[in-house]
Amino acid sequence: MDDRRHRFETLAMPHMDAAYNLARWLTRSPVEADDIVQDAMLRAFRAFDGFRGGDIKAWLLTIVRNCWLSTIAGSRRRAHASLEDQELPAADASPEETAIQAGTQRRMDLLIAQLAPEFREVLVLREMEDLSYREIAEITGTPIGTVMSRLARARTQLRESAKEFL
Amino acid sequence: MSCDHILATQSYLDGQLNGAESEVAERHLQTCAECQQFAAQTADLSDALRQTTRHRAPEFLRARVRAALKREAGPTKVRAFWWGAASGGGASALAAALALFLFLPPSAASLAEAIADAHARALTSGKTIMVASSNHHVVKPWLATHAGISPPATDFAAQGFVLTGGRIDTIAGARAAVSVYAHGNHELDLFTWVDKNGTLPPSTTVHGFRTAFWKEGDLNFAAVSDVDKAAFRKFIALARE
Repeated sequence: MDDRRHRFETLAMPHMDAAYNLARWLTRSPVEADDIVQDAMLRAFRAFDGFRGGDIKAWLLTIVRNCWLSTIAGSRRRAHASLEDQELPAADASPEETAIQAGTQRRMDLLIAQLAPEFREVLVLREMEDLSYREIAEITGTPIGTVMSRLARARTQLRESAKEFL
Repeated sequence: MSCDHILATQSYLDGQLNGAESEVAERHLQTCAECQQFAAQTADLSDALRQTTRHRAPEFLRARVRAALKREAGPTKVRAFWWGAASGGGASALAAALALFLFLPPSAASLAEAIADAHARALTSGKTIMVASSNHHVVKPWLATHAGISPPATDFAAQGFVLTGGRIDTIAGARAAVSVYAHGNHELDLFTWVDKNGTLPPSTTVHGFRTAFWKEGDLNFAAVSDVDKAAFRKFIALARE
């Protein structure tokens, strides 16, 4: 194996679960997540010479997020898709109906899936990936203050909607 | 949420503040009922979120990505540089330099890399555990037999760090016993190996993983994980007790 690929596999591949988790939560679709992660890993590999140390996990997740944004942009034939514009398709079934039978895990999964994307991504990056505010700001391309307020709102919303079983 | 300090309280709870800021936030939290309520709710929510699904990349996707990388990288070429170097008079000097490089004890910095790499290798291959058990009466003797070292392998399940098993690994040419812990969806590795006089690096973040090192007698310990700072500190405090 050549050096560059070896280095990439050593440094970047261990973060593929994080990449996949983010893609899954952003797209809420296993098939789309597969494509986005593969696309992101290839783009990362091509851009790898430009990676000069630093936080490779944050770097990789930034690429995953950009790949996701470009699939939205592509599917909507719009040059600038922004998170706020994206309309949420309905989840598989009415959450009220499904959640009654389900355990906490399934219920929480459904509630997170229904958060607006800009809230969902900070929540996933913070609570599942344990990233710092600074890293989340870097990945999402937003100021730290925005990360903080979005995170607080995401938590408040989630807390509100999970009130009856939490 | 009307308290002006709510975002500072959140930053404090998320372990994002430095010492001085953290003290200020802590003092405020002691006196503000609203922030206390927010803290309790955030903790409940974090517990619930720990049970949510952290999706893992499926095996076929890893294989697909590896194959794509291989195609992208193209066939491996013979390195012209080495032929050139070997044919010239510099060959013996080069060999000597290489030998020196190989026999040098690993520097402190490369040790941090080695630990992070070993952890990453295990995660990538999916083979983090060779003996799976949350019982330290199982893990400890297994490690003693296979690594020749008998680390404590204590279960900290009550404190949020569940012992899930052990494996053997190699660190700087030495055989290391690894106790493997789960914290929510994340994994922590605790490496133990024998080294009488090596210097240990300071705790740093390498390639996205936190590392920490300490010594007890002739035994070196290293913890490595991608959990957050607060959880990592808590784990180290437990492991060093």
